[in-house]
Amino acid sequence: MAAPMRQLVRSVIRLSHRNVNVTAAGVSGRSGCCWGTPSCRCFSDDRSTHFGFETVPEEEKAKRVYKVFENVAQKYDVMNDAMSLGIHRLWKDTLLHVMHPQPGARLLDVAGGTGDIAFRFLEYVRSQQERQKRRATRSMQTPSWQDISNNYSTEDEEGPQESRAVVCDINKEMLKVGKQKADSMGISSGLSWVVGDAEELPFDDDQFDIYTIAFGIRNVTHIDQALQEALRVLKPGGRFMCLEFSKVTNPLLARLYDAYSFQMIPVLGEVIAGDWKSYQYLVESIRKFPDQEEFKHMIEDAGFYCVQYLNFTGGVVALHSGFKL
Amino acid sequence: MFRSVLGKVVTETVRVHRCLKHAPLTLRVGPSAVSVRGFADVKDEARPPFDTSVLEFLVCPLSKKPLRYEADTNELINEELGIAYPIIDGIPNMIPQEARLIQKDTDTSTTPAQE
Repeated sequence: MAAPMRQLVRSVIRLSHRNVNVTAAGVSGRSGCCWGTPSCRCFSDDRSTHFGFETVPEEEKAKRVYKVFENVAQKYDVMNDAMSLGIHRLWKDTLLHVMHPQPGARLLDVAGGTGDIAFRFLEYVRSQQERQKRRATRSMQTPSWQDISNNYSTEDEEGPQESRAVVCDINKEMLKVGKQKADSMGISSGLSWVVGDAEELPFDDDQFDIYTIAFGIRNVTHIDQALQEALRVLKPGGRFMCLEFSKVTNPLLARLYDAYSFQMIPVLGEVIAGDWKSYQYLVESIRKFPDQEEFKHMIEDAGFYCVQYLNFTGGVVALHSGFKL
Repeated sequence: MFRSVLGKVVTETVRVHRCLKHAPLTLRVGPSAVSVRGFADVKDEARPPFDTSVLEFLVCPLSKKPLRYEADTNELINEELGIAYPIIDGIPNMIPQEARLIQKDTDTSTTPAQE
């Protein structure tokens, strides 16, 4: 009884929000009617979407995706290493290098689950801070007494340079694994964990310098809504970065990649995580996701500027980036 | 050729796999039991502390208004809509479907039902 009530409350509030936001939003063909009659989402569930190669009603997709990640949470990191032969670490490291965050930056990592991006972000800004300190001290080899006394007073001042990373994921299990990792690595300051929906972020407007979503956006039911939310929570000048599996252009590599995906990965999933179906979903969902150009247009439609993409490993993974101006 | 190698790998890891299958089950039982206990026995359990610094930018996903942290029930309250979001293991759960309606606010709970 409580659930439909909540949905009605949601739709009422969303109606008032949508009237303000609808002019800024672009309309992508797939979800055109979603903007016109937001209340129809609650009452008629005959709009369907894809879950891998299957067609399912939209409501079901979210539940099934949740189940997939709930099942694989404990073995997620191990499986990533096994499936990508460790290359996923290089992709994520490259994301950080392209991002090049400065100390004091605020990151929102959506679908961040086990926290890979957030950990790398914090490490990166900390080493940046070290480098800047070293550069500053090197340039002050013969300081005056005034400078030395100033240095002593500012040494403990971490406030203005404090970087923050917030990891947001819809799945509690993935966040639990991530939090355990953080605790075992001894990282606690500047890191927050929040359970939230990418289509309805629990954050205020204009809050974050960088929004990342790594290998998560293809699991979102309404990608355009997630893009809208990303635009909302970013500060003006903020950067949207999305790392996702994409289309391989080279035909030979594409065939090898397909063979590897459909024959090796579910088997690895069964052997290591004991879950064939989840990894079958994984490889199917990659095929259903739009290609580099189409996704670039979706990001532009959401209102981002200077949208560009970089292909990694021949197009197996693409990094899309856009700015909120 | 590939399949025979794979077959060998699979048969050799079957034993390991059987052990692995039991392990995740126990892992799954553990945390859920702890969280159930935590929910029922709020005062006696040593809860992981909730970091209130996240409240600077955390808002209700429905109304986008700031929230109030309630230490006794370990929830984040949105007064306007009369809903409370639970905090489990120090992680706030901001999914609207998982929020609890605060019963004392009868106006907001009855009017949507009448529609």
